[in-house]
Amino acid sequence: MRKVFLLFMVLVSVGCLSQNKQILYNFTAVPQSLMTNPGADVSYKFYFGVPLLSGISVNAGSTSFSAYDLFADNGVNYNTKLRDVVHRSSRNDKLAFNEQIELFSGGFKLGDWLENKGYISFGMYQEFDFMMFMPKDIAILALEGNRDYLGKSFNLGDLSLRTEMLSVLHVGFHKNITEKLILGGRAKIYSSAFNASSTKNSGYVYTIPATNTVYEQVIYSDLQLNTSGISEYIAEGYEGDAVGDIRKKTLFGGDLGLGFDLGLTYYPKKNIQFTASILDVGFIKHSKDVETLTYRGYYKYEGINPNFTGANTSGSTYQQFVDAIPRDTIYSAYKTWRPIKINSSYQYSFNDSRGGADCNCTVSESEYRNAVGGQLFVMSTPRAPMMALTGYYRRNILDKLQMKATYTVDSYSFKNIGLGMSSRLGAFNVYLMADNLLEYKDLAKAHSLSFQFGFNFIFKETNSPY
Amino acid sequence: MLLVLLSFSCSSNLDFDQVNDFKLEPVFIANLTYFEIPANQFIENGMEQNIAFDTQEFDMFRDSFFRKNLRRADFFFEINNTINRSYSIDIILLDENDQPLYRVHFDVPAYSGTQKLVTRTEIFENATLDLLKRAKRMGFVITMGAGPALNANSPGSLKLRSSATAYLVVE
Repeated sequence: MRKVFLLFMVLVSVGCLSQNKQILYNFTAVPQSLMTNPGADVSYKFYFGVPLLSGISVNAGSTSFSAYDLFADNGVNYNTKLRDVVHRSSRNDKLAFNEQIELFSGGFKLGDWLENKGYISFGMYQEFDFMMFMPKDIAILALEGNRDYLGKSFNLGDLSLRTEMLSVLHVGFHKNITEKLILGGRAKIYSSAFNASSTKNSGYVYTIPATNTVYEQVIYSDLQLNTSGISEYIAEGYEGDAVGDIRKKTLFGGDLGLGFDLGLTYYPKKNIQFTASILDVGFIKHSKDVETLTYRGYYKYEGINPNFTGANTSGSTYQQFVDAIPRDTIYSAYKTWRPIKINSSYQYSFNDSRGGADCNCTVSESEYRNAVGGQLFVMSTPRAPMMALTGYYRRNILDKLQMKATYTVDSYSFKNIGLGMSSRLGAFNVYLMADNLLEYKDLAKAHSLSFQFGFNFIFKETNSPY
Repeated sequence: MLLVLLSFSCSSNLDFDQVNDFKLEPVFIANLTYFEIPANQFIENGMEQNIAFDTQEFDMFRDSFFRKNLRRADFFFEINNTINRSYSIDIILLDENDQPLYRVHFDVPAYSGTQKLVTRTEIFENATLDLLKRAKRMGFVITMGAGPALNANSPGSLKLRSSATAYLVVE
């Protein structure tokens, strides 16, 4: 019990995921921005990322509580803190964690230096996702029982979580269709090492006063947990190297799926830019090592009812319960949809007195030093979509140093300030982005944190053939 | 930049060892048992049956989690007799060899026109809780006291309902 709880706490305290990369989005100095918009206005002759170090990103967050709320060294009894956290949260509070590491990445321009045949980008990344809604009613039932909640219907549908480890192999293409419009797309092959999802649950448990029996007690349950790639590790007697096995399966031999990204950049005027993208429209078919557990049924518990007229009938109440809400294991394949992400931005660019209008920029690269804009991020979840609104300011400080500052409002925080910079030293590019900078004042109280960094070699397009 | 950020950042003291204090103390309520015997059921072939009995499976403790973490159980009983006869009711917990472990005895007065509930709460803790955990069956013995004869049309019933409150401590 304690082990399970510890595992849960580790997952929870690491936090939560939103997968919003508001600083990276449309930060076209960094080729990885193509991963948030395959139609981003990025140009290069060719580039490649430093293997394993070209793109590392971590997102963690919790809408309802911070590590401080649970683990503060303040003398308050731990169980009191736990109870407070549960009562303060709502069933729509989320805990999530997302981590991505690029294994390799690269890209090149098609055709000769004057031709406009488009750009290819490709790569492979590994991703871990965990997301869970606060199972509030179930937590209350476990923490306090039902005695003080006569008449309350506990919602079993509060249970909703999914977690997955996968690798993604992708190839993208983007091209200037006209001077004003860039379109791009990316095809993805997913390979899932493991997946567990339990998102379509419903049911209730209630106890109300009755007349013939002391209480009317009913449990209705329609719970389902889909897993793939996990059962062998949790089976008794497993003695292998789970971490090694999972790593192997992430790269090869996992469950396969297909998906795509689409995106565009449009300049209605020279200094106005509009972008939009939709990412991870795709599915994974889970067919290897699949186990689906279900608990479905209805049971009204009345207690032991002796029969004085002879025939011995009612038998075991335990057995009645098990028969009424049986645990079934199904071994058929199932499909999961990737969480779809939608990004959009609108940007206005300008020069100030310090600005150098005569920069030696390539055709598509902005010749403006400053830009302000707004971004919208939407991601599908098993319940209502997650949204975030960002305002930003971008500046080319030097030709080789760009920065972007963001202010984001979302369900985790109303004052999320982020900062990103990208710098070039010859062909070597370094970028670093972090958000929720205000939370660094006291990390323990942070509700969400995210950062991305990476190293690339970028060979720019030039205006001359050599 | 990250270094700069981290050098400015700090963190309140956290104590992750608190997880060791983790303790669930839920209290659950549930039905335990119930019956209702109409007066005419004490007549069989025109003869009064003065004794009724039955045993039923009692497998609350088949679940090892529950057996291990239960610290106290309260059984609440409420008897409502509307038959013009007195009764004694015994509820007996039996072990796997059908040997009695624990007995709850009620004297129920005859109905005289006004409702008179007989209630009782039995608390199982420590030694009695250990007895309770060994129980495998629950026996019911009802003995009817002397009084005016019953017939097939006699009004009233002998009604019992009961509930359990289980105090768990999960560490």
